[in-house]
Amino acid sequence: MTATHELAYASIAEVSAKVERKEVSPVELTELMLSRIAQLDPQLHSYYTVFTDEVRAAARQAEAEVQRGQYRGPLHGIPIGIKDIYESGRTTCGSKPLDDYIATNDCTTVAKLKEAGALILGKTATYEFAYGFPTTKSYFGPTRNPWNLGRDAGGSSSGTAASTAAGLAYAGMGSCTGGSIRWPAQACGIVGLKATYGRVSRAGVYPLSWSLDHTGPLARTVTDAALVLQACAGYDAKDPASANVPVPNFSEKLGRDIKGLRIGLLRSIYEDNCDPKLLGPYNEAVKQFATLGAEVVDVPTITLDQLQAIEWPGLFAECATIHLDNIRNRGNDYNPHAKLFAAYGLLVSGAHYLMVQRARAQVRDDLLQALSTKVDVLMLPTAGFQINPIADDSPGLSIVSASFSVYTPIFNFTGFPAIQVPCGFDSDGLPVGFQIAGKPFDEATICQVAYAYERSTSWHKQHPNL
Amino acid sequence: MDKKAIIAAKLAEWNLSLTDSELDQLVPAYDNLLRWQDVVHGMLRSRSIADGMVIPESEPLLTYSPEKGGSNR
Repeated sequence: MTATHELAYASIAEVSAKVERKEVSPVELTELMLSRIAQLDPQLHSYYTVFTDEVRAAARQAEAEVQRGQYRGPLHGIPIGIKDIYESGRTTCGSKPLDDYIATNDCTTVAKLKEAGALILGKTATYEFAYGFPTTKSYFGPTRNPWNLGRDAGGSSSGTAASTAAGLAYAGMGSCTGGSIRWPAQACGIVGLKATYGRVSRAGVYPLSWSLDHTGPLARTVTDAALVLQACAGYDAKDPASANVPVPNFSEKLGRDIKGLRIGLLRSIYEDNCDPKLLGPYNEAVKQFATLGAEVVDVPTITLDQLQAIEWPGLFAECATIHLDNIRNRGNDYNPHAKLFAAYGLLVSGAHYLMVQRARAQVRDDLLQALSTKVDVLMLPTAGFQINPIADDSPGLSIVSASFSVYTPIFNFTGFPAIQVPCGFDSDGLPVGFQIAGKPFDEATICQVAYAYERSTSWHKQHPNL
Repeated sequence: MDKKAIIAAKLAEWNLSLTDSELDQLVPAYDNLLRWQDVVHGMLRSRSIADGMVIPESEPLLTYSPEKGGSNR
């Protein structure tokens, strides 16, 4: 491994210490990332727009600030990517009608990251409007998985996941309505952290489903995810769902023992449907937690069918109200299935939508009860099927079928914080991961548990061979 | 009325018309939507209070925060 390769794959925690000590400059890091993007991204297609001139200027400014002793913190001078549904410069949402749309302002989260000193490399690829699966015929084309270029990178935060996993950014921002941070993070073998609903501002981020939308980081380590979250968390009056609660130190519990900590497995969601290829590494992770001294117990909850019955009708009903005018006017410029999903949401009746909201409340209350009395955190796989090969044709409405066994939505419709952690590879060499979720606004504990696992294994040290 | 015609009629209420092929793709998804409607209905908790009469024991998860004011996104 060369020194350059090591620097490209260093964690933010490692590289920021070097920036602070002036051993590495933000300009050097930025040039390294730009060089790797130029070399590797033609095959991955993880970026739609690279802000070459802007990021170079920002890097020079960061370098000057550090030299003057004006070090801002762990993101100062660190190059990252931003999912292309966040308003900041060219913002396409992965959709042809927005190919030329240039946002006039940075959204709240990007502004906060810049304030923390982060350097924005560019805008990363997304499923169209965060839900329309790409195909080889899509206007923007698909992002390819760095572990297997014939496979999808997962979504909808595909570009952030692929670029972070491939060392084309030190981390990045995604958004998550049903799993769009954790699922691509699993597919690309990295960490995805969806904080509590309302923890990170969504203002200026193109909505998919207001009651389910979250924003948050993807990174190569738990520590890095916590550091990025630290920079962007907090109340924002521009976001009606923003929670006006204190922001703790998300890293404060990293390194603490988890002996005696109780982990509740949500078996009823995955045990009868998870592909054994993925279940094997997951079960090994469960055993590892027991080895670390945690107590593993079962927590009864809903089934996968019930999870899907709560998530997708509510999501697409909200999605339909967002996209109705657009698909009337420009529907034929959407991916064919993206147009159909929006139409599908119009078929959800008002009564059906309210029943979904009642069921959400029930599941939330049941799991809160478990988290108050029986366990400290919850655990289940991230997804129950291998990431799909890149499709040539529209996959149709496959997401609204039983086979789309992502287990992430339960923490979107409950709003609980959840983190995806890599736990190995399946027999085809594709990454596998699991989720740890916890009480609302207790991101520090899920990071503690995830970190305890991460440092007892070496999965986070493996990188794709590009 | 068959499912395809029902879907077309519902979308027409929104002044949205799709091609035959698009409507065909929505039919199985609509069937599943109706099934999920039953699944969710079956999950809802209610208490019997008289013969054939129940009272809901859960409320929809809707946010009503009068102190926050309107959207300013």
